[in-house]
Amino acid sequence: MGEKKYFFKVLCVCFMVLIIADQPHVANSEDLTSKEILDKVDDLWRGDSSHGKMSMTITTSHWKRSVTIEFWSKGKDKSLMRILYPKKEKGTATLRSGNNIWNYLPKVKRVIKLPSSMMASSWMGSHFTNDDLVKESRMVDDYTFKITFEGERKGRTVIEITCIPMPDAAVVWGKVVVTVEKAGYLPVDVLYFDEDMVLARTMIFDDVGPLGGRSRPRKTTIIPTDKPHESTMILYHEVDFDINLKDNMFSLRTLQK
Amino acid sequence: MLIRLAWRNIWRNRRRTLITVTSIALGLGFAIFFICLGDGVYYQLIDDGVRMQAGHITLEHPEYRQAPAIDLFLKKTTNLRKRIEKIPGIEKTKLLILGQGVAKSGTGTVGVAVIGVEPSVEIKTSPIAKKIFSGRYLDDNDNAKVVVGSKLAERLNLKVGKKIVITTNDTSGALTEELCRVSGIFKTGAEEIDGYLVQAPISFLRKLYGLTPQGATQLGVVLAKPDIQESIQKKITAILSDDKIAVYSWQEIIPELASYIKLDKGSNIVLQAILMFLILFTIFNTILMSVLERNKEFAVLMAIGTKPILLKAQLLLESAFIGIIGCFFGVLFGGLASYALQIHGFDISNLYSDEMSISGLAVSSVIHARVTVSILFGTGGIVLVATLLLSLIPMKRVTTISIADTLR
Amino acid sequence: MAVFRYAWRNLWRNKRRTGITLAAVTLNTAILIISYSLMDGIIKHTIDSVTNMVTGEAQIHAESYRGDRSFYKSISNPEKILKIAELHQIGASPRSYGYGLASVGTKSAGALFWGVDPAAEKDVFDLAVNIQDGYFLNNSSSGGIVLGKKLARSLHASVGSEIIVVVQAADGSLGNELYNVRGILKSVGENIDRSAAILHQEDFSELFVSGGRIHEIAMNSKGEMALEEMTAVFNSGISNLEIKNWKELLPAISEMVNVFDVVIWMFGAVFFMAAGLGVMNTMLMATYERMREFGILKAIGTSPLRIVGNMTAEAFLLTIAASVLGMCIGIAGSYFFQEVGIDTSIFAGSFSFSGIAFDPVWRAVISLKVIILPVVTMCITCAAASLYPAIIAARLDPVRAIHHV
Repeated sequence: MGEKKYFFKVLCVCFMVLIIADQPHVANSEDLTSKEILDKVDDLWRGDSSHGKMSMTITTSHWKRSVTIEFWSKGKDKSLMRILYPKKEKGTATLRSGNNIWNYLPKVKRVIKLPSSMMASSWMGSHFTNDDLVKESRMVDDYTFKITFEGERKGRTVIEITCIPMPDAAVVWGKVVVTVEKAGYLPVDVLYFDEDMVLARTMIFDDVGPLGGRSRPRKTTIIPTDKPHESTMILYHEVDFDINLKDNMFSLRTLQK
Repeated sequence: MLIRLAWRNIWRNRRRTLITVTSIALGLGFAIFFICLGDGVYYQLIDDGVRMQAGHITLEHPEYRQAPAIDLFLKKTTNLRKRIEKIPGIEKTKLLILGQGVAKSGTGTVGVAVIGVEPSVEIKTSPIAKKIFSGRYLDDNDNAKVVVGSKLAERLNLKVGKKIVITTNDTSGALTEELCRVSGIFKTGAEEIDGYLVQAPISFLRKLYGLTPQGATQLGVVLAKPDIQESIQKKITAILSDDKIAVYSWQEIIPELASYIKLDKGSNIVLQAILMFLILFTIFNTILMSVLERNKEFAVLMAIGTKPILLKAQLLLESAFIGIIGCFFGVLFGGLASYALQIHGFDISNLYSDEMSISGLAVSSVIHARVTVSILFGTGGIVLVATLLLSLIPMKRVTTISIADTLR
Repeated sequence: MAVFRYAWRNLWRNKRRTGITLAAVTLNTAILIISYSLMDGIIKHTIDSVTNMVTGEAQIHAESYRGDRSFYKSISNPEKILKIAELHQIGASPRSYGYGLASVGTKSAGALFWGVDPAAEKDVFDLAVNIQDGYFLNNSSSGGIVLGKKLARSLHASVGSEIIVVVQAADGSLGNELYNVRGILKSVGENIDRSAAILHQEDFSELFVSGGRIHEIAMNSKGEMALEEMTAVFNSGISNLEIKNWKELLPAISEMVNVFDVVIWMFGAVFFMAAGLGVMNTMLMATYERMREFGILKAIGTSPLRIVGNMTAEAFLLTIAASVLGMCIGIAGSYFFQEVGIDTSIFAGSFSFSGIAFDPVWRAVISLKVIILPVVTMCITCAAASLYPAIIAARLDPVRAIHHV
């Protein structure tokens, strides 16, 4: 079966971090510290709603392309995305509401619903699957945290937090290592290790600058370890948080607009 | 008196009798062996196919067949089973959940068919349980364990003990996922099975899909003997007449296999007919010749005043003796040969080089015959009756012999 | 020559016995020829069912394409291969494959899209006539699509339905298009039934922005060329490509055919024994019944060698006559079953099993093997069965032979 299928579901890559960060549970004092740090990271993207523009550049061994996307989100399960560029795909839109995903295709002027079997497919040809992005915060119970490094690395003072999945958690990774810069608690990278503790993919955050009213990393790059020449890079142009969005923004009617 | 005469008579020309008896015995033996062999091959095909799926008879939610969906499941299966298992002739019943999902590991994601089974029921018969090449099959005490196909394991880089996450929609349509560990990896040789199938304990899948504690999408009924299928299906339908449950035969569930077997059975019937003809012709020939060669003897008997009717009766008795003896040895010979093939089987993979060693799910490489009482006595009976009928033809001529001419 | 004249006369002396023996040998030989040609027919029928529908006798792919079915591993120079195929008069059909989503109304499902050359497909394979509803694709592109049976059912699609297709194109963009369902396939096999969505190559190329990429060339000589020969023809002309015959492509089915082969072979053995038994017993009896005659011959001073010689001549004449007759009837019967066939659809409807669909008409296959084998073996059986008692008789004391019963 193909892993290359396409479509959108939304929300930015930062979900990965957000998920880990949204962590209610407690353990010892060290855990508290790591949790606090991840809370800070989480605060970066916290917001009940958002609206913004981003561009996504996908590089594979066969092609490279960029799309510019406008997106809206509300709560955890409502989002809408619309392609602005390239021209050929302009107007193509994706709506997620709960577990349902619809796509609007301007060329044929039709809406189609994504079947659950397509969840394993690649999202827009990127290195994410639809399923990756639909992930909700029910994973909050899935990890235990520990600070495993604190000090200087590549000229920056960083804190490294190792997240180990709970034995029964529905997580495929062996561990996830999050590195944040100590100053401002901005994320630097997230490393995903498979069960054999071999690095499977890397997510890098950089280009720190003003975004949505404060300093944030504006660029996120994901690199699959087994295909080092491939990557998906997301660049945020502008994001507004906590804006007023009506529920009917996320309807099939809006999708076809 | 007549009987004793006939009996003595057939041993008077021992060689002739032996040749006729051999014709009948060997011919019948071949026919029995042939039918048992063909039957065995089809029986095996059906058995493999049926056991892998939901048994000879399958019970489902009435709307499931038209549009399979996980929310169309049977609820009170424990009670259902109790009622059905009372019917004699049912070997066992089994519960299945047939679902779809996405399997995910650190390496990737693949769409899969997820099948929930009762491990202790399945392990004895399921071809998949027999084709495990790494790790072990499921166990009733297993919870979040799965067995996966070799191709799937390759694609997701899975090994025994590794994690696999299954994501799917539950009965309410909500997205749900569970972590499992690989208990075993099977290899059947059929790409669509090895690359696509995940089996897990049914109790675990009930949780995953949100079914009730007794829920199952299929209740399969495996019969001790497939020949009683129709009557049992009727009985089950009668028992369940008040419940809204659909009852299907395996022919309706796997129509491809059913029609293939019918096709093959068709060609087999043609071959059986040809073989039968061949054998009866031989028997006829030997009887005809043995009777005709005795013209002189009959002429003498009639010359001394034997009534033609008595002569005919004696001849018929002789044929009956020869037929009975021949058929007895034929059934014995054919039955024993077939039985030997049934017990020992014949592994045809020995005839092929190593490159063909992958064992397919389509047909097991060991051929077994299948002996049944009905084949033995049915075929034996046909041959016996045919022998008697055939012996009537030359007999007609006996009384028309010109005594004077023949004796000269 | 005198021996034969004597034998000839002798055969006519007891017309009835000769007739029975002749009939036995003739009929057994004929039936054996017909049965063997029918049995060969089953094997060929099974193999044809596998190869003629869609798989072909061999397929060419880019190296390692079959492993991951990557869209980018296409055949670099398909024209060259098609040319080689044409040169050797092998039917060849080029195909492209790509995954995507098909949707009709509110139903949608993942599908494997095929780009085919309808003319080549119709020419070389049976898929194009294996249509349940509607028609196969036109030879020129027309925005039509043909769906697998189960895919159509799950999409609730029928002929004329409008179907939306969304795929990831070769350049990474989102390819989407509307097509009209032109036909729905009969059951071919689980994979095709569940996922195949067949497009004209030009439509495919436009949808996937694939620039005419070809992933597979399926070849079918319809039994005219041996598999090894076919492999050899292409092996010299290709690089970075792999050629696989159907046995390698479909190992499970190949194994099933092997099992089948052995079962048929066992059937053949049973038939041979039954036919041999018929000939032998009739012959033995005919000869034994003549013991008295041999005794008299011996008593009047005929040498044992002469008796055996006479018997040999008789058996020879009889066997030759019966073989020729049997061969004629056998060939005529086989020919009948080869041309007309036995329509097994009286036993069932449409056939498909584990990925192959069956043509319901079962035809015999005449080959030299199925004629020679029965004739030769029947002759030998015949000779042995008539000479053995003759030799015994020739060596017997005349008095005992006369009284021999």
